[in-house]
This record gives sequence, structure tokens and C-alpha cells, in this order.
Amino acid sequence: MEADDLALVTKAQAGDPAAFRALVVRYQRKVYAVALGIVKDSDLAWDVAQEAFVRVHGHLGAFEGKSSFSTWLFRIATHLSIDAVRRERVSQKEDVDEVRESDLTGGGEGILATTLGDDPAENLLRREMAEKIQDALQTLPEKHRTILVLREVEGLSYEELAERLGIHKGTVMSRLFHARKKMQAALRGYAERSARDDEESAP
Amino acid sequence: MKDCVRYAPMLGAREGELTEEEQHALDLHLQGCAGCRATAAELAALDGLVGESLMARANARDFAPFVDEVMARVGAPGLAPARGRRGFLGWFRTHPRAALASLVPFVAAVALVVYVRLERGGESGPMASLEIATEGEVTMVLQTSDGPVVLLDDGEHS
Repeated sequence: MEADDLALVTKAQAGDPAAFRALVVRYQRKVYAVALGIVKDSDLAWDVAQEAFVRVHGHLGAFEGKSSFSTWLFRIATHLSIDAVRRERVSQKEDVDEVRESDLTGGGEGILATTLGDDPAENLLRREMAEKIQDALQTLPEKHRTILVLREVEGLSYEELAERLGIHKGTVMSRLFHARKKMQAALRGYAERSARDDEESAP
Repeated sequence: MKDCVRYAPMLGAREGELTEEEQHALDLHLQGCAGCRATAAELAALDGLVGESLMARANARDFAPFVDEVMARVGAPGLAPARGRRGFLGWFRTHPRAALASLVPFVAAVALVVYVRLERGGESGPMASLEIATEGEVTMVLQTSDGPVVLLDDGEHS
């Protein structure tokens, strides 16, 4: 895949529009998904995703292939998404990244794990929860949404997240932990209702 | 609980992301801490859901116009036209011969008007009009700035 990307990039740098078009088609949905996770609004995500490709095209001549094309593209998309959110945000209290004892309590006593199960391929409930997850994600602060989206859509490692966001690895770990705990809290109400329904329907 | 604060952020780590020392210490802690084992199970249950959900949204959206809009914005040739190249001028660039051919009637009309104006020498009023009189035979009278000119038909010449 990566070698193929490089071949297309080389052709696009030489002025082949079809090659650039192929790169857009290849990554458009994933770039949109990253933008959507961060900016929340679907139309804004569409614009941000397009702008990312336009920026990439504008700097194609300067791309030397030191990082992969996709890393470069997603870095631009991430920064554009964060900029878009910050432009829209009037004021929002920043959350701390360190983990406190209070953060470890009130986790729901296993209700999510019990309800969701641990088999992503066969768990129908996971698919049914897609919309709830989207809603829950939108309740998170921008920095928590961003790190969670980059981790899950792009699949970035701790080191890559640290580099992308300009923070230390320790901050990445604690910020991710907070993001997940907040997702867990947002989804808890749904999971508890679901578990209660199951109990009531049981013979 | 103090140890839990230290180890909780490590719970979502993927294989190889922690150092050997970190992984060993975490494993030891989890063996003796039911709370962190439960937290780990909770977080594992959420793992992948956000990405799955976002990609589902992206896949559900019609992306047909996306690439054309991007290509139009970057001004790639042979693709959807950018705003600045729309209209007759943009069409002229891509079809110069057809554009020139379409201009011929217009240029001819302008040339005729200019010629007639030069012939008139600046006089006002209608320069010429055509009248048809029917007095037994068909007679055509052409009104010109120099006065009426009667056009006789072939019968009167014979």
C-alpha cells in the first residue's frame, strides 16, 4: 500500500492529475472520519477534509517522502480539524491530564464490559451502539476527542500521538485514559438501560 | 489506590508500547488489583468502537462529489472546471476553433453596420425602405436618402 502511495505521489508531483485523484479517492473517507470525530459537524468535516487535500496538493512538490504520504496527509487533516474547532470555540475550560484517585472510581462496576462483550466481530450490540458512540464522542472536550480519534481511526501509537500532538508520551497515556473514561461515563447510561432490558426480557 | 493512579494510564497500551519494566510492573499490579482488572475490562470493551462508528458514518455518506470538488479546487486540467475558468473564456481556451467560428456571424453583422453608417455620412432617419405598390402590375419602390427609386419588373423592359 505504501509503495503504491509513493508511486502515485511521484506521478502527481510530475503533474499527473489522475494520480492525485487516486490518492484522494483512497483516503477521502478516512480523512473525513478523522475530521468528523474532531470537529463534530459533518459539513465542516467535509470542508476540512477537502482543505486537507488541497493543502497537500499545494505542497506536493516539497514532499520528500521522509514520512509516509498518509502520515503527512493525516497530520495536515488533524491540524486543520483542531484549528477549525478552536476557531469555533468561544471558551472552554481545559481539563487536566494527570490521573487522580477520583478518576478511578465510579467506573460502572463492569457494566460496560458485561454489556458490550469482548468479541468485536460477533457482537451485534457494538454495531447498534454506533450512533450512541457518536453522540458520546461529541460530549468530550476537543483534546480528548482528538486523541481518541487519532488512536482509533488512524491507529497511532503512543510515540506517534506524542509527535503528532506535541506532548510527552506520559501525557498521551493519561489523556487517552481520561478520554476513555469520559466515553465510558457517557455510554454508561445506555449500557445500564440495555442490561436492565435484558434482565426484564429474560425468562 | 496510590499505585492504581500510576498504572491506570498504562491500561490501554498495545503490545510493545510499554517498556519491559513498565509492562512487568503493570502485570504484577493487575494480579493483585481487582479494581484495575475491572477498569482494564471496561476500557477493552470500548476499544475500537469510536473508529468503527466514525468509519461507519463516513461509509454511509455519498462521496461521489468529493473528489471532483477537490480536483476543481486544485485546478487540475481536464477535470471539473475551477471557478475562474468557467464561461465563454474558459470554453474559448479549450475550443479555440469553434469559438472563432461562432464569432463569424457577429463580426459580419458589425462590419455591415459600420459600412452602412459610413455610406450614410452621418444623416439621420431611415436610410432605405422597401415599398410594394400594386397598380395593375407589381411595382417596387425603394426609398433611399436620395429619393424614391422605382424598380421596374421584367415585363416593363420587354
